[in-house]
Amino acid sequence: MNQGISREDAIERLNGLLAEEMEASMRYLHLSMMVQGLDRLIVKKVLHENLEETLEHSEQVAEKILQLGGCPAPKIHVEFAQQRYSGREALQEALLFEQAALDGYRDLLERVDGGGDVILEEFARQQVSVESEHVAELKMLLEE
Amino acid sequence: MTGWREFDQNPVSHSAAHHLTTIQFLLDEFGYARVSDVARHLGITRGSVSVTLKGLRQRGLVVEDEHKHLGLSEEGIRIARGIHIKRILVQTMLRDVLGIPDDLAEQDACKIEHLVSDYTAEAISKFLQKLSGIESAESISKLFDDLKKEMAAAEISFPSEEAQKFSDRLEQRLTEEEDQ
Repeated sequence: MNQGISREDAIERLNGLLAEEMEASMRYLHLSMMVQGLDRLIVKKVLHENLEETLEHSEQVAEKILQLGGCPAPKIHVEFAQQRYSGREALQEALLFEQAALDGYRDLLERVDGGGDVILEEFARQQVSVESEHVAELKMLLEE
Repeated sequence: MTGWREFDQNPVSHSAAHHLTTIQFLLDEFGYARVSDVARHLGITRGSVSVTLKGLRQRGLVVEDEHKHLGLSEEGIRIARGIHIKRILVQTMLRDVLGIPDDLAEQDACKIEHLVSDYTAEAISKFLQKLSGIESAESISKLFDDLKKEMAAAEISFPSEEAQKFSDRLEQRLTEEEDQ
C-alpha cells in the first residue's frame, strides 16, 4: 500500500518535471534550427509541434505546483552541441529526452499511486499516457 | 595567446567530466549507476544526462546494458580516474601551497580538473611529494631543480602508479580532515 507523498516532496518532484519539460522545449527549438537534409522541412514541423506540446506541459506542471501551494522554480541546465543534425539524428535525440520525461512521470505515478491524492495521481497517469504516445510516435518515425 | 581555443578541443568537457566521475563514484559506492542516479547526484534533469551520455556512448567511454545500467569502458575508467586524481592534486596544491581556503580550493579544482594536461598533473604530483619532504629553505631551490630534471626526462602516462598512490593518500587525508 502506497503511503502517499508529502506536499514538499510532490512540489520538488514536479519542479524536476518542469525542468524536464522546459529543457525539452529549448532542445526542440535548437534541434529545429540545426536540422538539415532533404527531410528538413518535415522534421522541423514535427519538432515545432512537439515544442508547442512541451510548452503546454510546462504550464500544466507549473499550474499543479501552484495548486499545491508551491513555487515553480525549475533548475535548468542545457548545453547545446555545436553540430548540425540530420532529420533522423534530430528525432533520435528527441526520443532520448522524451523518454527521460516519460520515466520521470512514471516515477511520480509510482510514488502517488493509491496514496490518496487522487488529483495528483490522475495528473501523473494522464502525463504518462501522453508522453508514452510521444515516445511511441517518435519510435514509429524512426522505425524502431 | 591561442591556448583558450584548445578548451573546445579538450577530450572531455566540464559536463562530460562530471558525468564520467559520477558514474565511477556510483559504481564504486553502490555497484550500479542508472540515468536517474546520475541525474540525482548531479542535480540536473534525466533529459540532460541522457543527451550527454549519448555523446559519451558514441565515443566509447560509457556503456549501457540491457537493464539500462551504466558502466565505463577501459578508456572511460582511465579518464574518470585521471580527472578525479587531478582534482585532488590541484585542490591540495591550492590549499597547502597557496593557502587558499579549502572550500574555494575545492571549487576551483573542480573548474579546472578536466583542463589540466597529464604532464602538468604529473608535475604537480611530483612537486607535492617532494614538498612534503622539505626541511629547510635551501632545499626548496634544489626541489625545483630536481623537479625540472625529472619532468624533462619523464615519459608521461597519467595517472602513473606513483601519482595514483599519492592521490589516494591525499584523498584519505582530506576525508579525515573533513570528518574532524
